[in-house]
Amino acid sequence: MENQKSFDGTLSADEFYIAANTLCEKWKSANTGLPDWTWVPYKRMPSGASYNDGYLSLESIYHIKFPKDPVKSRNLSEEDEEPVDSATLVHVPSNVIHAYDFHIAYSHSYRDPVLYFNGHRSDGQPLDLDEMQKDLPEYSQKLLTESKWTFITVEEHPYLHQPWYMLHPCGTSDWMKLLLHGRPDAADYLISWLSVVGQTVGLRVPISLVSSCAKHDSI
Amino acid sequence: MASESPTSERKVVVHLRATGDAPILKQAKFKTAGTNKFSTVIEFLRRQLHRDTLFLYVNSAFSPNPDELMIDLYNVRGLWRNFGFDGKLVVNYACSMAWG
Repeated sequence: MENQKSFDGTLSADEFYIAANTLCEKWKSANTGLPDWTWVPYKRMPSGASYNDGYLSLESIYHIKFPKDPVKSRNLSEEDEEPVDSATLVHVPSNVIHAYDFHIAYSHSYRDPVLYFNGHRSDGQPLDLDEMQKDLPEYSQKLLTESKWTFITVEEHPYLHQPWYMLHPCGTSDWMKLLLHGRPDAADYLISWLSVVGQTVGLRVPISLVSSCAKHDSI
Repeated sequence: MASESPTSERKVVVHLRATGDAPILKQAKFKTAGTNKFSTVIEFLRRQLHRDTLFLYVNSAFSPNPDELMIDLYNVRGLWRNFGFDGKLVVNYACSMAWG
């Protein structure tokens, strides 16, 4: 990343650590209404790594699926004429609350960040890909049916060694090169990256995340 | 931009800039209500280019959520510079967007 001319959309392990810290800080100060990203350090035995090894974690992001029941939606429109009791609690059956965990790990082979994710029900039961697919934004659902396994794949989590879903990183450096447009910045790499990747899995990256860091840039 | 006009009436001038292998549009600039969502731009480009898979980003650093309001995007003081400047919001678009 030091040399702008040869910027190829990738980043080094050290740069990933810098970018991870920036993401954590800015996410926290942007008041996203979501839990914070945290850095999970990892000590390999024997410790031979010369860089800060670890991954980013954002856990328990809830996705509440409201059942699309035609009878209920008809009732809903009839209710328009009735007085609305805003204090009524909506009882969501626990089996429709899905919790998602997102991890970002550095891939040494692709030299890019990789998004890993996993979903489970409120009782802890894991979700399979078909169930998770229904929680994905419409565009991703379509892409998944067109190109299954070249978009979202199951892989062994590089630190937890359990099967996790991941976004295929093959194209990452190509679109990152385009997105950063010859202006590589290790610190903000992950924010730019997550603005694209987050949309595919329904994890919203608020624009306040880029606004909140403008102070020192605009001087 | 006139600061006295209320946000609801503000218009945003969008400048669509082709990157990568994307074709250049005949009309690259258009005006849209600030209350419109970013998805308006996405849909417009999909219709113009006859493509479903598009990669849209602003300020060479950020890909906004489709439901962000145009006026909010215009007002962002972004990673490199303000998203909106010279009275317009530059939206870059590319046709290639591959994952695997």
